[in-house]
Amino acid sequence: MPIETCLVLSNEGLTPGAYLLWLEAPEVAPHARPGQYVMVRCSSDHDPLLRRPLSVHRVEEERLALYFAVVGRGTEWLARRRPSDEVDILGPLGNGFKIEPHSRNLLLVAGGMGIAPLVFLAQKAAAEGYSPILIHGAPGALALYPQRLLPPRVDLRLATEDGSQGEKGLATELMVRYLEWADQVFACGPVGMYRAMAAHDLDKPVQVSLEVRLACGLGGCLGCAIHTRQGQRLVCRDGPIFDLGEILWDELKM
Amino acid sequence: MAELRLSVQLAPRSKRGLWLKNPVMVAAGTFGYGDELAPVLDIQRLGAIVCKGTTLKPRPGHPQPRLIETASGLLNSIGLHNIGVDALIRDKAPLWATWQVPVIVNIAGETVEEYARLAARLEGVAGVSALEVNISCPNLEAGGMEFGTDPVTAAEVTAAVKEVTSLPVMVKLSPNVTDIAEIAGAVAQAGADALTVINTLKGMAIDVARRRPALGSGVGGLSGPAIKPVALYMVYRVAQAVEVPVIGCGGIASAQDALEFLMAGASAVQVGTANFVNPKVALEIIGGIEAFMRREGVGDIAQLIGAAQP
Repeated sequence: MPIETCLVLSNEGLTPGAYLLWLEAPEVAPHARPGQYVMVRCSSDHDPLLRRPLSVHRVEEERLALYFAVVGRGTEWLARRRPSDEVDILGPLGNGFKIEPHSRNLLLVAGGMGIAPLVFLAQKAAAEGYSPILIHGAPGALALYPQRLLPPRVDLRLATEDGSQGEKGLATELMVRYLEWADQVFACGPVGMYRAMAAHDLDKPVQVSLEVRLACGLGGCLGCAIHTRQGQRLVCRDGPIFDLGEILWDELKM
Repeated sequence: MAELRLSVQLAPRSKRGLWLKNPVMVAAGTFGYGDELAPVLDIQRLGAIVCKGTTLKPRPGHPQPRLIETASGLLNSIGLHNIGVDALIRDKAPLWATWQVPVIVNIAGETVEEYARLAARLEGVAGVSALEVNISCPNLEAGGMEFGTDPVTAAEVTAAVKEVTSLPVMVKLSPNVTDIAEIAGAVAQAGADALTVINTLKGMAIDVARRRPALGSGVGGLSGPAIKPVALYMVYRVAQAVEVPVIGCGGIASAQDALEFLMAGASAVQVGTANFVNPKVALEIIGGIEAFMRREGVGDIAQLIGAAQP
């Protein structure tokens, strides 16, 4: 499990407050699978102290991309990195999404920044011959991930809350139309979105990516333990991908 | 220059002793049971590993959120989430017995008797090199007051553990006291072979949106670089007050930090929160101490221990 000091290749604002960061990561990138994450050092001193867990957004050979929103001092620091700066990452970590052997029709549901790991999954699925449908919801058109950056053979369906592009409404509302078609669902978004999905009582495998505070990412601190139907689980190591039905949504506090 | 001597004896009063090949260990609660971190670094090069605080029965720990980052620090309230001593003996100790690096088991109880039973369970278990007693736990027999805040109960726990074990016993002191030297003296008098100074400082954060404490359990322990000056002072003070070796712990993140603790009077150091930021930091600290010794012409680490004392 390498800790790698990566060269920044590019870092551009893609949507308001969100950045696409490409890193030269020859030790980490080739091993990364969709749904896995890296722990990113977001300072050159002790403040902010902890690494930030960010899901792997894309991999191109030895290059690795992160797509992240600026939500605090750590991601602010990361947004200021320029080409030829260095960023320290640890990973890849976590279990990753798993496509079941019998699944043909893959439905990917991305709420807002939740698109970050699903682009990697869509890329991998398309490369393996699947034709996934990717539903992407956002508050408005400006916050939508640019379509030109999506891999070919990915069928994109958009939903915006203000109706400025695609369907008016939430990603989960759009999702309902494709449920019958789908053999398997993969989702990433806010917990509220997962709660809405859990209320649908879906009769097919649904995998979701959980986001919690992590300190070490390695199972060393036990800071990320949650109760599930299968007992206590560490989000960092047993997750971050869980079956929707495994999580006790009513008692989940983050 | 001749080969550097980094080894330290942390339990000179114990029959079994506790030799470390270098004075850099990893602190309880920051390194799991050791095996979790093995894929990331060569753990055998560490001075010692202190495992996750262990109780008689498995504990699920506290509700989320368990971690809050603060300015150069970390508030945690894990709540002694651990697998319990029986699973530790069954699943972890056999692995440790094959390791070169000594593993020290950190034990925590709610009554004096629980500490003694834990120590008795661990007596003779291959793979366990020493015990570290966490006395920052609420004493159920004294209205939840922490064992470590009262010299009498702190000494009682120490004596009870010493009586049933042949292992070297380190006692990890709480900084949340009026005079840490008084507690240190009582614990050393009761038979502690070494003292770990310090555990986390009590702290909290408030979630203003919810108008509630931010940690799931309300309050937690502060660690990380933010507490280093406090820990350093307490090591300096305790090292003057007792004869037994002191192990410095609190905010150590670099070789410079470790050297400061050694010079303040610590015979060894524990790296804690910094492991989360850089899992290899303890190995880098060992290398940094060696580089300093070479540069300064110091052949034996013993020459540095307490060098800043009057």
